[in-house]
Amino acid sequence: MKFAGAFDVKAPRPAVWEKIRDPGLMAACIPGCDSIEKVSETSYRAVVAVKVGPISARFSLVVDIVREEPPTRLVARARGEEGGRASALSCESLLSLTSLGEAGTRVEYEADVDVTGRLGKFGLGIMRKKVEQLSEAFVAAFRGRLEPAAAA
Amino acid sequence: MSAFVRHPASVEEAVGWLASIPGALPISGGASLMAMINARLVEPSCLVNLERLEELRGLSLQADGSLRIGAMTRHRDIAGSALLVGAHVLLRQAAAVIANRPVRNMGTIGGALGHADPAADYLGPLRCLDAEIEIAGRSGRRSVPMSQFILGWYETALAPGEIVVAARAPPLPAGATLYRKVARVSGDFATISCALRLEEDGRGTTARAAIGACGPAPLRSETAEELLRGGLGDAEAVARFGAALQAHADPIDDVRGSADYRLKLIPRVLASAIAELTGADRG
Repeated sequence: MKFAGAFDVKAPRPAVWEKIRDPGLMAACIPGCDSIEKVSETSYRAVVAVKVGPISARFSLVVDIVREEPPTRLVARARGEEGGRASALSCESLLSLTSLGEAGTRVEYEADVDVTGRLGKFGLGIMRKKVEQLSEAFVAAFRGRLEPAAAA
Repeated sequence: MSAFVRHPASVEEAVGWLASIPGALPISGGASLMAMINARLVEPSCLVNLERLEELRGLSLQADGSLRIGAMTRHRDIAGSALLVGAHVLLRQAAAVIANRPVRNMGTIGGALGHADPAADYLGPLRCLDAEIEIAGRSGRRSVPMSQFILGWYETALAPGEIVVAARAPPLPAGATLYRKVARVSGDFATISCALRLEEDGRGTTARAAIGACGPAPLRSETAEELLRGGLGDAEAVARFGAALQAHADPIDDVRGSADYRLKLIPRVLASAIAELTGADRG
């Protein structure tokens, strides 16, 4: 499943980059993220709970920063499984940050998400809607952290 | 009997169990839930069986002319009920085409509402009939209009631990009804469905319509229905009505059809259902 989108944040590019590389902040913005633990400068462990209708799943993920060019581009790969290996998730994502000058920063993202196992059975159509919902929630939370004035 | 399945004797006991046992789920007919448990999609810690709850059984006509359908009423019983007359016939028409006979013998209207599969057959008709859903939880009873019952994909107004007690359809003016289900094969879920009833008042006839399987909840537009009043024989007015409902759609791509295909079907299915009900297609 491929996703792409963009959103603008009213903050300068280096500040946006710094927040994107702040695991604590990311954990607070990712819907369902219970914890993030730093393994190395470019590797993290995260636990994320997802609920699609009656189905709940908790994924233990390993997130690796594959490539980064501060403060413009970041390529990350996430892989993980639910308890009991009932389903597996992998995701490759690309983030790019463009400065909009006074107006702030544009964040563009592309992601390729694969879900197999019991959650994959549920039908990709509904998973896509779910991921779109989660992205919207993330963008709202992330903006809230960077634009405290706008949130008030 | 293991404690994995509980058999409460009252609604209050049932919601008490659901509230106090983490991971407990209510089970009514089990038509969807058992299949999901077998596929390991859900793994409840305990099932609270609603089968012995008298209050949840059967259809009854209320003093005010409204129709109450208990949550444990099977599809089979709704499909064959003589109590469903006038506009309420729509529910009978929908129940008759749910899946197949074994599923209709098992499945219940309360279960279908709680699961809220966007392609399920009752959702559109209940929306079209301005139904209300009676809900019970540990903190008491409440009633939610069908227009506010479905909050998202497979998400309902039911809070954790709450159950559907009944669906209630208000008395409505008599008028022809039709449930049109487009499915790949008989017995499948709908690719798209259309629940339709005609309603006449002094200002002319209009159609009340709800489109299913094209978003998390059935699509309906009361505003567009008023614009259509008196225009059921006018192909352009009917096309505008279809376009208005299409504008609210948010379909998914799945094995039953792509989102684009579903969008294209909305005005067509609607126009053909209206033509069938008004007799225009017999011309």
